[in-house]
Amino acid sequence: MRLLNLIPAMAAFALLQVALWRDDDAGLVRRLKAHEPKAMADLYRRYGRVAYSVILRIVRNTAIAEDLTQETFLHVWNRVGLFDAERGALGPWMLTVARNRAIDHIRSQVRRLEANAVDFERLERPGRFVGLEESALTVDCARRLKRALEKLNANQRTVIELAYYEGMSHVEMAERLQQPLGTVKTWMRTALEILRTELSEAAIA
Amino acid sequence: MNCQELKDLYELYALGVLEAAEKAEIEAHLARGCENCKRGLADALALNAVLLGIGPAETPRRQLRHRILASIGYERPGWFWTGALAAMLMLALAVWLGTQERERASQLAEARRQLLQISGERDRLSQAVWFLSDPDTRPASFGRGQEAAPRGYVFLHPQLGVMLIASNLPAAGAGQAYEMWVMPKTGAPRPAGMFQSDGMRGLQILSGPIDLDALDAVAVTVEPEEGSAAPTTMPIIMAPAGD
Repeated sequence: MRLLNLIPAMAAFALLQVALWRDDDAGLVRRLKAHEPKAMADLYRRYGRVAYSVILRIVRNTAIAEDLTQETFLHVWNRVGLFDAERGALGPWMLTVARNRAIDHIRSQVRRLEANAVDFERLERPGRFVGLEESALTVDCARRLKRALEKLNANQRTVIELAYYEGMSHVEMAERLQQPLGTVKTWMRTALEILRTELSEAAIA
Repeated sequence: MNCQELKDLYELYALGVLEAAEKAEIEAHLARGCENCKRGLADALALNAVLLGIGPAETPRRQLRHRILASIGYERPGWFWTGALAAMLMLALAVWLGTQERERASQLAEARRQLLQISGERDRLSQAVWFLSDPDTRPASFGRGQEAAPRGYVFLHPQLGVMLIASNLPAAGAGQAYEMWVMPKTGAPRPAGMFQSDGMRGLQILSGPIDLDALDAVAVTVEPEEGSAAPTTMPIIMAPAGD
């Protein structure tokens, strides 16, 4: 299976050196709200590469990844008025929008839209990105989480990959992997529990 | 389901991969303001973001930055884009000489770019409709009865911000653009974004909460395309907030 063949390569992935929470994000959001064009240039400098990387990993085509990155930035530009400059987490919002644009694209390619529509607009509402633990959004936490990800077994990594990078539900994973639904749910629950605990400990440390 | 049973599902809910029944359970908890679920979802959003940020670091082509900034009217095609355009023309020639399939792919890419532009415009219009349909929106007119001057309305809303619609507004000169200003009763004017006219009309929205009690007027000046920190010309539009 193509995906399973790719999994071992995860250990060699270079880490994106991006902190997803910066103290000066609030100022940047205020400038974006005022529609200062220079603020868009700063937003791109801060999150352009990481957004593009996430999208490319999902769509695996550079031309499409560029289109979707542009779509991501326009989406944020047009909706930033509803974003809480003081308490909102800009990095996580950007990555969520980027990932959802890419998943939406691959779902439309394989005609899964009609079968199981996802209301991404609702899931990525700017108001949802408040109250996130700032200390969990550092480069150090990302490093620890990456190490924890590498320690998951192959089945656990596979289900994480399918949910995050292919947008699959438990049922769709069970079909793809030809495994009982309960087994897939167990793999996912265990994997998330490990990652959740790791991130929480990293944030406290 | 109670919060304890839902705690393993927040990440998957945030990713949009839950089955309908589980999704409905979480949304019901969130709708009634369940603090456990709100906390769980915030933690899940953080975990998801950090996980997404772990991966191969790829570098986009430099043109992507230009494309994005051009799409909001910040950068105009320069020599770089002239070169890029020439390259695109040569590519188009190659495509023309190639198979019908490649031609179709190129047309699709162009259609997609146009769709992105239209999508940006649609978002602005949808913001405008939102403004106009909210009962708390307060209109103020400017330029009424003056034949030659730009005329139109500003719409003020304490949460949504300021929207200006101007007609009879000529295109700004080469290298210039219109800049909207929020003029407080005391203190310096605050920049409220750049915009262009299509030769007749212009639309500019400043999103976000605004203190209407402290607002004296909304003004527009002609400025260099990159924008100014303070007005450098006399306002061509001055709309008193109390009108």
